[in-house]
Amino acid sequence: MSKKKQAAGTNLLYQLIAEARTYDDVIVMGRGDPDFDTPAHIVAAAKHAMIHHQADVAPAAGLPALREAIAARVKRVNNIDVDPASEVVVTNGGQEALFLMVLAALGEGDELIVPEPNYNTYADSLAFAGGVKVAVQTAHEADFRADPAVVRAAITEKTRALLLVSPNNPAANVISPADMRALVDLASEHDLMILADDIYDLFVYDDFVHTSPASLPGGKERSLTLNALSKAYSMTGWRLGWIVGPADLMARVAELKAAISGGTSIISQHAGIAALTGPQDAVDMMAAAYARRRRLVLDALDEMGMQYGVPQGGQFVFANIAFTGMDSAEVAQRILSEQHVLAYPGSAFSKERKDYLRMTFLQPEEQLVEGLRRMKLAMASL
Amino acid sequence: MASQTKTKLLARHAANAALNIPLPGIAMRDAHDLGADEPFYPLDERIIAGAVEALESGQTHYVDVPGIAALREAIAKHLNAACGTSWQSANILVTAGLQEARFLTIQIIGAQFEQIGVPTVAHPGLQKALGVRRRQVVSLPVETELGCLPSLDEIAAALKNGCRLLYLESPSRLSGAAYTQNQVARIADMLAQHDAAAIWDQGLARWVDEGCSSLAALAEGATAAIGEAWHGIGLGSWLVGSIAAPTDWIAPMQSQKQIMAICTSTASQYAALAASEIVGETHQQRLGQMRRQRAAALAMASELGLDLLPGAANNLLALQADAAARERLAEAGIDFAAGEDFGARDIVRLNIGAATATAIEALG
Repeated sequence: MSKKKQAAGTNLLYQLIAEARTYDDVIVMGRGDPDFDTPAHIVAAAKHAMIHHQADVAPAAGLPALREAIAARVKRVNNIDVDPASEVVVTNGGQEALFLMVLAALGEGDELIVPEPNYNTYADSLAFAGGVKVAVQTAHEADFRADPAVVRAAITEKTRALLLVSPNNPAANVISPADMRALVDLASEHDLMILADDIYDLFVYDDFVHTSPASLPGGKERSLTLNALSKAYSMTGWRLGWIVGPADLMARVAELKAAISGGTSIISQHAGIAALTGPQDAVDMMAAAYARRRRLVLDALDEMGMQYGVPQGGQFVFANIAFTGMDSAEVAQRILSEQHVLAYPGSAFSKERKDYLRMTFLQPEEQLVEGLRRMKLAMASL
Repeated sequence: MASQTKTKLLARHAANAALNIPLPGIAMRDAHDLGADEPFYPLDERIIAGAVEALESGQTHYVDVPGIAALREAIAKHLNAACGTSWQSANILVTAGLQEARFLTIQIIGAQFEQIGVPTVAHPGLQKALGVRRRQVVSLPVETELGCLPSLDEIAAALKNGCRLLYLESPSRLSGAAYTQNQVARIADMLAQHDAAAIWDQGLARWVDEGCSSLAALAEGATAAIGEAWHGIGLGSWLVGSIAAPTDWIAPMQSQKQIMAICTSTASQYAALAASEIVGETHQQRLGQMRRQRAAALAMASELGLDLLPGAANNLLALQADAAARERLAEAGIDFAAGEDFGARDIVRLNIGAATATAIEALG
């Protein structure tokens, strides 16, 4: 077997990204990086901060004004009440928030229940913490719904927390209000912490509704909830995210944040204030664009006869490629090499998902159309 | 009903004393803030222009995990010129400030060794980084006469007893004391003799007259050099640091960086890139200014009979100061870094700046 095929998880993705860079005409339907640039008023605020706030010093938990803006946002969007002074910690993007959340809630031997497929970095972070992943498998035929009864069956005496990513990455399912209620009740009943990832909460389609577990009775005191500006404001390069949660646990999160990176760029923090408190029409524009592109992708997949879980939210679709009889890493490699289209293999997210591909709709529509045309050619040749 | 799970979790965190150690501020808030890690100088407008140009041209997306190529190249070039190393871009990992560099080196390089030898006096960020995931630590006692650096004998003893990874600051983040060229050469010899390695914090080296010897120059294949990019340039709150290390060490740290942050802020990286082109321009002028202010402070301290720790970096000084002396500093409105947080009792660390003389006066 070639060295290329031995890579797994995150390393596999980076290997594919590196190859994609070598093609001038590549169409990237892999990485979760929106094609839109950061809205101009946010860049202008950053420029202003560079001149007037270049030497501001913030505590490791973040600028008070930003924490207030975050508290107002999670109240407005997620219906979570938090005290900005003690229940918000600013992070270097959603990724650091994820890492901190796992480190704060789990230690050696602690079990985390993870509905799968899920974002691969949770497993990486859990491994760093010495925790144990307990996977609860879901199926595309059920739009990747994590049945609370199945989750209940996975709980053991070592279970300490439940991971709820909604909309999910890569499966793009949204946990329904009824299921979320049942999962929060389950966490209360078994005294589990909840790690909630709301990063795609502004991108929910059709009649689906996003619910934050911390907004439900019994949820807030046991939930750490992360979010970031990367996806909603097209600010992936700014590295600005946050965690909200109960003050006692957030004090520990702040200590861990100081130990890991000491703080967050002051310029990104000022840009974050502008994003959260300024005009939101760019977010609405992007959400509308993603909704159109999603339809376009699903139509193309239907045309190819591919099965998938209907993306109820997020910015991608997780499609089944079992009909090819090939491993997803090999399929992704061939699509890239032969058609110069980068899609992520399901095996990078979970070893159980070797027959899936994740495709994003984070490209201009004309590129997306061309990417899907090439993908159709690639699929026909497999 | 209170959550038992959360109660146990909080108890576990509370028992980890290393995480509770306070860190000094990243950069000075004002002229009387002498306790921060970095002095404040207004940013050169070309640095701002570099960052703005990048943002306005659409550099608002993810960039490569180890850092933008041009900045890695610039950092390698600067390190090579300052230290006599021969690093390439592939040897450089850009980090979100120095603390992330400490964390990555200690946790990821540290994981390849059974033990890590650390000075009993060092920047509190070291203990915090060690506290996240406990490593087996060998304490390297320090000597006050050496500015709170571990002596070569202590280093030799640790290596002789089986410790194969050292964490050393030169200059010290508390006193500014630095190992001499001969001492660095002896440390390099000891590493070679024991097939050992080192994490070498050299972020303050640029403030030492005539430069400061880097272990990386003599033991490049066994040293990870960490520091800010660049200390005192005005980017303290923008958080840009770097790790220079052999490529087989960079690879796992890069993976961990991906796991915990994906990449470093693009605005900060482009600002640091612009800074790399002008960092030499103002350096001598700032260094000269610091040298004069420090000499005046030392003279005043000597006149007042204050006990000073030896130090070589011109950006700070450390003094013996009991509780009463600290109260006087506080009354004078001076912020300082407490030696206890570094592991040194009855010592205060002061930045060199316009208010340092006032602080010395208060201590007298």
